[in-house]
Amino acid sequence: MIPVLLIDDDTELTKLLQEYLEQEQFQLDAAHDGVSGLQKALNNQFSVVVLDVMLPGMSGLDVLKQLRQKTTVPVLMLTARGSELDRILGLELGADDYLPKPFNPRELVARLRAILRRTTSGAAASGKPIRLADVELHPESRSVTCGGKAVTLTGAEFDLLHEFLRNPGKIISREDLTKAALGRPMSPMDRSIDVHVSNLRRKLGTYDGNHERIKAIRGSGYVYLLPGEQQ
Amino acid sequence: MIPRTLFFKIFIWFWMAAALIIGVFYLMIQISYNQSIPQRMRTSYGEAMSLYAEAAVHTYDKDGPQPFANFVSRSQKESGTLVYLFDDQGHPLTSGAGDEEVVGLLHDIDTQPPQDRYYRLVNNRVTWGKPVIAPSGRRYVFIARLAARTVGPPFDISVPRVAVSILIAGIGCYLLALYLAAPLKTLRLTVQAFAQGNLGARVGPSLGNRGEFADLGRDFDNMAERISTLIDSQKRLLADISHELRSPLARLSVALELARKSSSPAAAGPLNRIEQEAERLNELVGQLLALTRLESGAERVPAETVLLEEIVQQIIDDANYEAKPQHKEVTIVQLDKCRVNGSPELLRSAVENVVRNAVRYTAPGTAVEVGLHWKLATAELTVRDRGPGVPENELDRIFEPFYRVSEARDRASGGAGLGLSIADRTVKLHGGTIAARNVEGGLLVVIRLPLAPSQSTVQQDQATFSPASLASG
Repeated sequence: MIPVLLIDDDTELTKLLQEYLEQEQFQLDAAHDGVSGLQKALNNQFSVVVLDVMLPGMSGLDVLKQLRQKTTVPVLMLTARGSELDRILGLELGADDYLPKPFNPRELVARLRAILRRTTSGAAASGKPIRLADVELHPESRSVTCGGKAVTLTGAEFDLLHEFLRNPGKIISREDLTKAALGRPMSPMDRSIDVHVSNLRRKLGTYDGNHERIKAIRGSGYVYLLPGEQQ
Repeated sequence: MIPRTLFFKIFIWFWMAAALIIGVFYLMIQISYNQSIPQRMRTSYGEAMSLYAEAAVHTYDKDGPQPFANFVSRSQKESGTLVYLFDDQGHPLTSGAGDEEVVGLLHDIDTQPPQDRYYRLVNNRVTWGKPVIAPSGRRYVFIARLAARTVGPPFDISVPRVAVSILIAGIGCYLLALYLAAPLKTLRLTVQAFAQGNLGARVGPSLGNRGEFADLGRDFDNMAERISTLIDSQKRLLADISHELRSPLARLSVALELARKSSSPAAAGPLNRIEQEAERLNELVGQLLALTRLESGAERVPAETVLLEEIVQQIIDDANYEAKPQHKEVTIVQLDKCRVNGSPELLRSAVENVVRNAVRYTAPGTAVEVGLHWKLATAELTVRDRGPGVPENELDRIFEPFYRVSEARDRASGGAGLGLSIADRTVKLHGGTIAARNVEGGLLVVIRLPLAPSQSTVQQDQATFSPASLASG
């Protein structure tokens, strides 16, 4: 059984989900408000935290902010449909993926599996450290340094950077990046990969202070530029 | 260019009025002074001069030139008065013939209808004259130039003095205009901030006790308070409705999956149907809420610069992704760079709704053509499908909520009938227009949005050099 924490104020929904996820080999622990959810997430070892944005008391985004200061546990956000802002804010604050609510529980299980596949298989598919200019990526420890300084990346961001560094200077489509970073196929109208890329850009900074590392190619995808390649 | 502010108007009009009053004031003083001179000439001072003239002429007529000269020179020494005497023919009997004032006065006496005495005023010195008949019957003309200056106007009327008075009045008017217009500026800035979505903007006590202005400020604050309360409660209501309607749907879909697991394969059909209907209901709730939010005014448009071509490109990428399995395609006919002001999320959903609608109706094996054209002050987005089109008389109605051209076919394509309404409200919220018309073998939807000011400046520059503007100029 895989331990999962669900922070959602809808007690009836959590009960139903508990029952459903149990059949899918997930051990679901539930919290019904932000404060107790944050406590539980920090005190116990969960494989994934599922976090509703609309919570009484402390909002889901605040929980996420505080959670990210202490741990890199994967977080799947449940957002209200149509509320693009919550979604983007959540991803910017370091959530690994999101699911608009109401969702199909099969989709939830698929997303949870995708996240777990990434975090667990990440170590298995490890390999040699990759080094490109000032960036160094260590697959075993899942750590990244940039210019000698450690950079804290979420799971999705790490996998995204890993994909980029394996193919520097090549255009990678948004579909492929989504598959690599989120472990799932891209869904229509899905902007999450763009948010992850912009987070990565922000965390790594620029070459020489003013050259972007990752360039968007309109209609195709993104390319991680080799040093000296950018104009 | 003249600024058309109220401040400037108050200032200019008040100043012009003050200048006019000052001008009229000086003019009236001048006129009344000039008019008072003849009167003064006729008073006791005129009487004294008459006596002196009679005495002088008598002396000349009776005693001859020498005693007259003595008489005159004595008075001249005492008072400085210059005396001239002329005979009947106008020949001077005194040593000098006098300056042009004296000659002029002599001419007046000869030509103008007889009156007791004549005078001229130059440099505030009076030249005074009177024809005198001596006892011998001879007629003389006596003219005297008085040494003493007459009393001038109450004060000196000179151009610099008038200019300085008008300037001082100008400063006064400037301060007055400032005092009157300043509260209006405060009010205006507050109203602007409020209109731009800062619902917390208040005039507050800054207007102090400036009468009607302070009242207006208080009234505005009350109104703003009321509006912001209404909008807040509207927003809260929408969020609550959204939450309350969706929570049961979320539970429903989980319960559905549980039921699926424990039921026989025979139940799969109805269960799939339940899932489909729940999904449809969910989409409908989302669209209804979006539409309500747009129409209630709870949605405010941020003045953010939106790169329309990027949004359109992304939507086309996504739509292609969705259209491929149905053997449909979305192609770009043109993609100009267009900057508009507004909300990227709202505009994205508006364009997305129109494009998706076109993809839904275009026939399999055909392409939806999307174009973004830069047209002077507007960005024009055209979306053309190869579908059945819309009956000509119902073209306007397709933007109404829940409008359907054909009930049966729409069900199959899964539309809730709100996508175009949402697009319509969004475009209007951004100050644009949306229209649809039938073209050969399909429907063409045209969205026009005003370009951001920075881009329409370029347009204005171009317009300046267009032949039309030259002709009209």
